[in-house]
Amino acid sequence: MNSLIIIFISTVLVNNFVLSYFLGICPFLGVSGRLESAFGMGMAVTFVMTIATAITWLIYNLVLVKFGLFFLEYVVFILVIASLVQIVEMFIRKFSPPLYQALGIYLPLITTNCAILGAALFMVTKGYNLLESVVFGFSGGLGFSLVLLIMAGIREEMYYADVPPVFKGASLTLIAAGLLTLVFMGFSGLVSS
Amino acid sequence: MKEIQISILVLSIVGFIFALLLAFLSRKLRVEEDPRVEKVMMSLPGLNCGACGFSGCRPFAEAVVKERSIFSGCLPGGEEVNKNITSLLGLAGHVGGERRVVFCRCGAENKDKKGRCYIGPNTCRISDIIGGNIVCRYGCLGYGDCLEVCPKEAISLKEGRVYVDIERCIGCGKCIEICPRNLFEFVSLNKDLKLYYIACNNKDKAVNVRELCSKGCIACGICVKVDNSPYYLTENLSHIDRVKVNNEKPLEQARIKCPTKCILIQE
Repeated sequence: MNSLIIIFISTVLVNNFVLSYFLGICPFLGVSGRLESAFGMGMAVTFVMTIATAITWLIYNLVLVKFGLFFLEYVVFILVIASLVQIVEMFIRKFSPPLYQALGIYLPLITTNCAILGAALFMVTKGYNLLESVVFGFSGGLGFSLVLLIMAGIREEMYYADVPPVFKGASLTLIAAGLLTLVFMGFSGLVSS
Repeated sequence: MKEIQISILVLSIVGFIFALLLAFLSRKLRVEEDPRVEKVMMSLPGLNCGACGFSGCRPFAEAVVKERSIFSGCLPGGEEVNKNITSLLGLAGHVGGERRVVFCRCGAENKDKKGRCYIGPNTCRISDIIGGNIVCRYGCLGYGDCLEVCPKEAISLKEGRVYVDIERCIGCGKCIEICPRNLFEFVSLNKDLKLYYIACNNKDKAVNVRELCSKGCIACGICVKVDNSPYYLTENLSHIDRVKVNNEKPLEQARIKCPTKCILIQE
């Protein structure tokens, strides 16, 4: 139980996927324009990440380890993630068309969201068991959502701010992202492992 | 060798399982789409110019199926597309589309305009910050920013003057947005009449206009005094009241009488 809490906190805050591993930067900058779509994107990534780590753990340990096919992990993981994204896309399109519209191109881009492949690969290198992997995937997605929501909040406020024209748009966003990274660096040392 | 066989087998099985799952779910979660959207989509020009107020042709097609009253929203498509859309949506008989084009309100060539020294980036938007290369504060800067944004290459530049090919113009209004001096203006095209327009935008007094441009409107009012004149004066400029225009005669008379020859016909 203790180790699960440590995994959770360290993945959400200390070793955040976006801000300390620099994975998933594309949706982080692309979908953080509006709070609403950022929330949707965060939830979709969390969902896909949780399921993906669970299924990749099962496939890795039950199939790949058994047959000694470690070199296939990348291919199989990508396959699993791509299929899951397709399924999530179908669900969202069916049950929440506004969210589908809001996410737009970024939904299929979860397929190539390196944070999700990263989660699956880290899970293998860290040697987690199934429960730990699921918690790791879930908290990874949650950390991603957290950062995405913070960023979206900042950007919505910045939209109305009176800034010099040279800083408007992408440059200010990148500066804000950099500052946010510095803030999250303050969490390092919170969990010693 | 054995490894290759096993890996192929494992990958195929995993892939097959996911394929089955996806096939099953795509059946189960199919979204019914209005078939008319696709048909409307096919009849649209597909330029994604955004003149309808939507982000592209597809969103417009979706919107027009839901809200039929905006059937005439596609400007580049003109009458033909409107007819297609109305027949698809069961609105036939309500068509009354007119084509919207732009014209440029500066008719001065380089030799007509009094120039001044400007060294810097060759774009209208940048040079306009410090007033550009001409003395006139209203006229065409002549770097051709409008040429670049025009999706149909309907705008050309000769001797520092902008020409709009109204056959090609689709009325998307991109040039209106880009021109820092707001020289472009929309006009509804009347098929029976030639398109007359005042090729000057200088709102200064006649004395000042004469100093810096030989083609500028000096607001002398001669065009207004013609019989049945559709011309009127505001802000030291002549304008044409398009509602009053029903034949070419007064327009042509005024064009001949204009002392600075700034009433032009759009070819």
